[in-house]
Amino acid sequence: MIPEGMGQIEATVRAVLGDVLGIDAKRVATFGATTPLFGALPELDSMAVAGVLTELEDRLGIVIEDDEVDGDMLETFGALTEFAAGKALV
Amino acid sequence: MADRAPHIEYYHWAGGREVLLRFGPERGMLGTVLIVPALFEEANRLRGFTIALMRALAARGVASALPDLPGQGDSVWKTEHCAIDKWRAALGTAAATLGKPHLFAIRGGTLLDGECQVAGRYHFAPVPGGDLVRDLVRIRQLSAEENDEPFNPEAIRPPGPPVELAGNLLSRWLIDDLKAAMPRTADRVARPETDARAAQMRLTGTALWRRARPEEDHELIRAVASDITRWVEQCDG
Repeated sequence: MIPEGMGQIEATVRAVLGDVLGIDAKRVATFGATTPLFGALPELDSMAVAGVLTELEDRLGIVIEDDEVDGDMLETFGALTEFAAGKALV
Repeated sequence: MADRAPHIEYYHWAGGREVLLRFGPERGMLGTVLIVPALFEEANRLRGFTIALMRALAARGVASALPDLPGQGDSVWKTEHCAIDKWRAALGTAAATLGKPHLFAIRGGTLLDGECQVAGRYHFAPVPGGDLVRDLVRIRQLSAEENDEPFNPEAIRPPGPPVELAGNLLSRWLIDDLKAAMPRTADRVARPETDARAAQMRLTGTALWRRARPEEDHELIRAVASDITRWVEQCDG
């Protein structure tokens, strides 16, 4: 894994959550690895989850298979960033 | 150049009558821009952007017209009767109603302009039809999981009754045709800067069609309106 790449992935995940869910940049900036997402953010319904995943695909040039999408990867900001990094940094 | 208030006209195609929303001068020096809207939920999310763009074009002396596609917008057609060839035929008629307009198509609208006789094609954030279907299926799948309902994405192939995807009742043949549809070559392609796909022009802004609650992005609207105006002037020059 490329360490400097990880910072970029995290910034992209943060920007996507902000842009797709319409979350204020200041609030997104406070998200840490353990910040809960799915179930904790009222903005994150099934349509919004689809938007977040598709937007991550577009910005990172990755493909997320449907059977990879589960509650675990969306549970926290850290889990989603790890998942995206696992796809983008090979 | 007499400015007119936005107003509603109609175009008539083989399947009936649909609305053509018009902005800008009656006889613009620069002709009329036919705006092809995005599809499904993306059209709803981009509605504010599209109307604001038409206003901005009118302020620059460029007339524009936004058709309802059969089964979309305020059309009385049922969504389940939508088909790509019908959309293309309807758009071709809308274009003919305007003479030989310049065409500006957004997202899924870029899949439908094949039968339009136009002075030029401008595609904004074009997308393969397969990506649109994938998005719809993913939303359906996630909501099925949320509600503990069974859903098999393989089971939506034709033949069979219409299927509900992300709030739209759609024909299985439409879904199949959409999967195979690709945007045709355009004279100009622009995308928001966050979109990694190929484009001649990147505009400051984000993918408004993915925003649950889109806000008006004035900078993006100004940038697109100015770029369309320049492009139309060049086409005419």
